[in-house]
Amino acid sequence: MSLPTVELAPHRGPGFLQVVGQDRMKLALLLAAVDPLIGGVLIRGERGTAKSTLARALAAVLPPREVVVGCRFHCQPSAGDLCEQCQRRSQGGRTLPLEIAPTGLVELPLGATEDRVVGSLDLEFALNSGEVRFQPGVLAEANGQVLYVDEVNLLDHHLVDVLLDAAASGRNVVEREGVSASHPSHFILIGTMNPEEGELRPQLLDRFGLCVDVVGLRDPEQRVRVMESELGPTGSASGDESLRLQLTEARRRLPEVELPRNLVRAAARMAVDQQVVGHRADLVMVRAARALAALRPGPSGAARPAGLQDLMEVAELALVHRRTVAGSWVPTMAEGAGDQQASAPGPGGDPEPVQGGEGEQEGGGEVGEGSQSSSPGQAAEATSGRAGPMPAPPAASVELEERFEAGPLQLPHERRRRRGSGRRSRTSSQDRRGRYVSSRWQEKTTDLALDATLRAAAPHQHQRRSAAPAGDGRAIQLERQDLRQKVRQRRIGNLIVFLVDASASMDAEQRMDATRSAILALLREAYVRRDRVAMISFAGRSARVVLRPTSSVDLAERQLSRLAVGGTTPLTHGLVAALDLILAERRRDQDVLPLLVLISDGRGNISLRGDEPLREAQAAAAEIQRARIHTVVIDTSRDHLPVTQTPGGPQMAGYHFNACADLSRRLGGEYFALFDVTEQGILRPVAEALRRGA
Amino acid sequence: MSEPRSVYPFTALVGQDRMRLALELNAVNPSVGGVLIRGQKGTAKSTAVRALARLLPEIQVIRGCRYGCDPLSEPLCLECQQRRAGGEELVAEPRRMRVVELPINASEDRVVGSIDLEAAIHAGQRRFQPGVLAEANRQILYVDEVNLLDDHIVDVLLDAAAMGVNVVEREGISVWHPARFILVGTMNPEEGDLRPQLLDRFGLCVDVEGISDLSERVEIVLRREAFEEDPEAFQASWAEAEDRLRVQIAEAMALLPQVEVGRPVLEAIARLSIALDVDGHRADLVGRKAAQALAALRGGRSAGIAEVAEVAPMVLSHRVRSHPGQRPPDVAEVASRVLGEA
Repeated sequence: MSLPTVELAPHRGPGFLQVVGQDRMKLALLLAAVDPLIGGVLIRGERGTAKSTLARALAAVLPPREVVVGCRFHCQPSAGDLCEQCQRRSQGGRTLPLEIAPTGLVELPLGATEDRVVGSLDLEFALNSGEVRFQPGVLAEANGQVLYVDEVNLLDHHLVDVLLDAAASGRNVVEREGVSASHPSHFILIGTMNPEEGELRPQLLDRFGLCVDVVGLRDPEQRVRVMESELGPTGSASGDESLRLQLTEARRRLPEVELPRNLVRAAARMAVDQQVVGHRADLVMVRAARALAALRPGPSGAARPAGLQDLMEVAELALVHRRTVAGSWVPTMAEGAGDQQASAPGPGGDPEPVQGGEGEQEGGGEVGEGSQSSSPGQAAEATSGRAGPMPAPPAASVELEERFEAGPLQLPHERRRRRGSGRRSRTSSQDRRGRYVSSRWQEKTTDLALDATLRAAAPHQHQRRSAAPAGDGRAIQLERQDLRQKVRQRRIGNLIVFLVDASASMDAEQRMDATRSAILALLREAYVRRDRVAMISFAGRSARVVLRPTSSVDLAERQLSRLAVGGTTPLTHGLVAALDLILAERRRDQDVLPLLVLISDGRGNISLRGDEPLREAQAAAAEIQRARIHTVVIDTSRDHLPVTQTPGGPQMAGYHFNACADLSRRLGGEYFALFDVTEQGILRPVAEALRRGA
Repeated sequence: MSEPRSVYPFTALVGQDRMRLALELNAVNPSVGGVLIRGQKGTAKSTAVRALARLLPEIQVIRGCRYGCDPLSEPLCLECQQRRAGGEELVAEPRRMRVVELPINASEDRVVGSIDLEAAIHAGQRRFQPGVLAEANRQILYVDEVNLLDDHIVDVLLDAAAMGVNVVEREGISVWHPARFILVGTMNPEEGDLRPQLLDRFGLCVDVEGISDLSERVEIVLRREAFEEDPEAFQASWAEAEDRLRVQIAEAMALLPQVEVGRPVLEAIARLSIALDVDGHRADLVGRKAAQALAALRGGRSAGIAEVAEVAPMVLSHRVRSHPGQRPPDVAEVASRVLGEA
């Protein structure tokens, strides 16, 4: 059957193969292109590592697809999932007319509104015909194509929810704004992110089949080639044609690639050994191995079975973002063939980094001496050099035995919005963020709720039409009083960041215990208001994010079950890590209301930038104040002086100087001195600060 | 709303017995009151719920009713009442129960329903256009990521669930219609908790975890791959198992009214709730129904202590009060102790 063809859209920019280096990223993208069921690729890395260039270049080499002529959702009968209209059209065994369309890249911009993403009521159609029709959105456009989300970690939470849902079910179900619709939405999800700017929710992380951590090229030779290729002709995309052919062939071969049982078993063993959550990793590994076998056929070009070698090559791509055990790990043939082996080496059995060290970027940077702290996100994540969420066995660990009974705590239910605090005035587009929940009439409509407006106008149409001049062809007569304004709801919640001194001192363990109890009590109280809590501890020579911003009691309980104490007091490191964390959250959501709670004696003794520790801490405090972050300082030094007697000036540094009170002044925050640090002692000032609306 | 053509067969799920049982019990006796499935990502939660749709029994509805009114239960919806008052004879017809999905970004007008735009514009009529709650009447209402649902939609759900009726007062429309639905939700607790009122609305609650048994994991991958490769052939190869379970559920439904729950068993249920210090009486009622459904599913004519013990964790785990700073009691353990005495 010959089909009408559509010209492939010209691709500007370098071809896929012209991009220098980044072989793992290329591999991951090609695998996802061979088998879309793998579930897309997440590319993590610093700026300027050709992340988006490659994603776009990939779209340019994707084989074209067969779509139903005239279908607004680009249904592909070969995908076995049709929209309602195509289902009706194909009833009774009728064949749907098909055409060849190029496979392209659909970008989901960060500022996209929800109605643009999922689709909405078709305004023009409604006004002209008076009928309700669904106007497809980005998720419809992306059906059968690549959906690209740059900086996916900065995407608004409610858009992430929608995206997850579609990615998981392959369908976009819309019950909003007067329309009820459902259509297939299968796409290759490609996301990029810079981990320095904030983490991705684990739920979304898991949805990406594969993940690569990219770093800039370290080989001068290759860097030179990057510069040269920049000067050379672009858009020529010389290898693209053959690559497209290769992909087409690989897709054709894919169903013929056999999947030996021992391969599946090896994948399952790796997933169990690496303590991944859920079962998606097994599936993804197997599919990726199979896609690789399809991409690299046997000698005669015929399909060959997927082998352990394939699995080894792709395993890390499926595990890097899912594993819960610390440490780097190398898949070995012996381990992969664990079927035959009585005892497979456990995780971390081999200290060699995998694939030239890619993979374990999160643990890379550390706010330690000599580190320039140019990588805040990484710094915050840093442990004692080992990557992963679990700390190394602590020198002194605190198992909480004695707990405090949380008394009734009156937390404010709504926090007042900050006013006149010098924040940038809101632009209209910012006002339009958030989920549209209902509508109301108001004097001047700035954010039109179309469906509600039409509904308001509907009952009057008969009357108005008869009053309208002849020849007015509009189906709907709108008047001013019909206009409705969208009421949007955002989850504006508090972000309470506890910054806790974990250095060795007499009451260190008590401090940690009390903080832990306070966090859990806050979370138990907080769920309705969508507040989130985070905890950073500092000790030794670094600060560590012990608990990422979360509203989950479960997660907090797990992550805070063992807290290490001991060592010196790197106060500045802690302040910087807290600032970075809050700024990262703010980048994603400008409306977040941060409250920083510092629990310390304020006597930092470790330098971050080579300056005097106290001076450094004061500078960091001033920076936090400039960022307009509200703070509460809980002074735990038992020999503190009354605030009124505090002499000024850093030259007075010493034990006769109330370091905490000074710090709290520089932070622009509130100061509390506690002789005994208890849960209630922490909660009271925090609740007070929240009530006052910071 | 059409469902995707290819649904993974329920019987082809590997492991996760408790989740499957909880769903089956709801199919046998919808008044068990739904189920909340909590678990981490990638543990076949949504797959199981969507697969359940294929196993649901038929119910009798009044022909032509937009709300699927039950011919044997009063009150009927306003429209049915008008039809009856107009002298029309209402005829019942069988309809398969469905899983109606509520997307988490649903807007209020589509959930509760609103004025029918086209009717208003073209005919000048004020007609009600039913929403998801109408569609879900006597069906399963499924909310994926239920903990992420907007608060105001949760309020609407709670209102309807409490009264069994959806009352609409908006845009010049004033109607009510029956809205009795079986609430099924899935959630990942790491993404946040559920409001206690909503939690209590779920009859049962199961926590699912990933399977660590290697051969089961292998089986999961192999079946999934076979399904993706050729959904129809895969469904065909499981058709027999599906039919068997469907028949089992249908027989259990027929048997259900005859399943007895003796007084000592009721007492044991009550003692268990007291021992665990749960709020209210919903736990007792759900416990009795769930034990009854379980006995029916196994072909028994009476529910005993064994059935109560088996369903106890599902009935009680989400109703046990958690005291700050205390580990919640292990329901299964308390159940075996309390019920052992009985």
